[in-house]
Amino acid sequence: MNWKNVRLIYLKEMQGAIRDRRTMITTILVPLIFYPLLFLSIGYFSVIGERNSESQSSLISIVGAENAPELVNLLEQDKDINIVPTEENRVKELIEGDIHLIIRVPESVETDYSEDNRKDPPSIIIEYDSTAQHSLVAKKRVLALIESYRKGIVQMRLKKIGLGHDFIKPFQEQSMDLAPEDKKAGFILGLILPYLIIILIFVGAMHSAVDITAGEKERGTLATLLVSQLNRLEIVLGKYFTVMTISAVSMFLGLIGLSIAFLLPAYIFGEVSVMGVHYSPSLFFLFFLILIPLVGLASALLILIGIFARNTKEASTYITPLYMSAIFLAMISLNQGVELAKPLFLVPILNNSFVFKELLLGTVNGTHILGTVISNMVVAFLALRAAAGMFQKESVLFRS
Amino acid sequence: MIEVNNLKKIFFDKKRGEVKAVNGINLHCRKGEIFGLLGPNGAGKTTTLRILATMLKPTVGEVSVNGYDVIKEAHQVRASIGFLSGETGLYDRFTPKETILFFGRINNLPDEEIRMRMDEIFEILDMKSFQEVRVDKLSTGMKQKLSIARALIHNPPILIFDEPTVGLDVITARVVLNYIKEFKNRGKCIIFSTHQMQEAERLCDRIAIIHKGEILAKGSLEELQQRFQEKELEEIFFKLIRVETGVRP
Repeated sequence: MNWKNVRLIYLKEMQGAIRDRRTMITTILVPLIFYPLLFLSIGYFSVIGERNSESQSSLISIVGAENAPELVNLLEQDKDINIVPTEENRVKELIEGDIHLIIRVPESVETDYSEDNRKDPPSIIIEYDSTAQHSLVAKKRVLALIESYRKGIVQMRLKKIGLGHDFIKPFQEQSMDLAPEDKKAGFILGLILPYLIIILIFVGAMHSAVDITAGEKERGTLATLLVSQLNRLEIVLGKYFTVMTISAVSMFLGLIGLSIAFLLPAYIFGEVSVMGVHYSPSLFFLFFLILIPLVGLASALLILIGIFARNTKEASTYITPLYMSAIFLAMISLNQGVELAKPLFLVPILNNSFVFKELLLGTVNGTHILGTVISNMVVAFLALRAAAGMFQKESVLFRS
Repeated sequence: MIEVNNLKKIFFDKKRGEVKAVNGINLHCRKGEIFGLLGPNGAGKTTTLRILATMLKPTVGEVSVNGYDVIKEAHQVRASIGFLSGETGLYDRFTPKETILFFGRINNLPDEEIRMRMDEIFEILDMKSFQEVRVDKLSTGMKQKLSIARALIHNPPILIFDEPTVGLDVITARVVLNYIKEFKNRGKCIIFSTHQMQEAERLCDRIAIIHKGEILAKGSLEELQQRFQEKELEEIFFKLIRVETGVRP
């Protein structure tokens, strides 16, 4: 095998890819512009939506208002709450969004404790629609008021028997989050970033991989390479390195694009400043150490499928399950509580996303990193060997 | 320059079972000669030429091209041939100059020699006016000229043309055929497949009529005319098929 020939194929394919508008879109525009824009707009619209709901008055209907004049008084004093006259078909109105919440007050809520001889305390029922933002906001407001209403009654009862509020609240609790800022930020990024990057590694390379394998078959250009003085392994390797480069560029630009999205005024992660993540050069090195073998694996699998397929349409069909599996494996790391058992650290893609997450949380586990790198490289090697083998097969190269 | 002895190529097809695409053919082709393989679609022409070009391996038989064995010395065979077929497409996003430079390089020519030969070939094929235009902007005729230039860049002594005029308009087809003649005059050994009788009549020094993987007859046009007592190649062809299949076409 002559590496000069591998280089010739590589340069030819890269030149073709750079001139292909579709590659440029999936490799550069999507990770660098579309991804950040998408996340910024999702964050922006959810914040705007929430603000809109909170800036509006909650329309509330009270059934049995006469049983709790003090509560009604509190509700009336709140400028964000509007009590609407009670109608017959309140539930329908609630579902249709004409009112946001219904409070049902039973009799004798405010009854003097000494006269209250019921076993269970009465229930104030709050009816709301969990699918409507307005209703959720109304619920939050009403619960806060009911809490202070309850406190009022308790205080009054305690006062009557000569006790202070500390009688029922001997102490207070206070929680303090001692997690360092970068770990908090890493946790949030760790949930979503591995997933997004893994998707980019596949999406970025998909078009080019299909174009330079099945696409070449379809256009008849593959035959011109087969009758040249290149050997078939040189052709496969040249193509493989092209797909790897494109996939790596897509991943790298994705990291940049997503960093931009996360660093901009944090619409997405409200309270936690993502800027707190401390990217040291060694952390970056570790990111690449675990992602580059995945790039190698994704490229080998895509090349293998591309060579096997008769044409680009067939290749796209075959790639769909691969892509879905990658999404599925990457998605597992989106769950907060899931920890990987040792043997599972040998499953490619799954291990990449978990180790990536660990690194973002500041954990550097040598065994996990090594397991990830080796398992990805082994599967990539096998896929590439299969691709090279297929490139020798007449039945694959010339089937129509 | 080309020697084919008892060549067989058997494929296995899930639906049809064993398919004998080429079934024991013998032929040879000399320097400065155009040898034509004439036959209908599916006769085994393309399979034969693909074996000569080392793209497919023979199941049985001996094939040597320029003195090299197609299995054991495939690399040297590929260095000796220029291959052109309806299938050998071009890279849309490259210009003719870039295309030829790439194919020159992968055929191990130094850049200086590629540029020299490119200049010469572009001159002969009248390609200078569009040498810097991207392939996807070229007409079919221009593309076919580029395909020929690509097959010639490493100056191979043997040219294999698999239906080089398929899909071309009459004017372009004529241009291509004239070039093939010109290459013969320059001493190349040319093997050429077609299903068009007139092309074979006009161009070939010797013709093999191939049907269902077997050569039914071969010789110069005059020899075939004498042997079958027919003037037209088309009549000879149908006479042979009728004998072979027993069916009146």
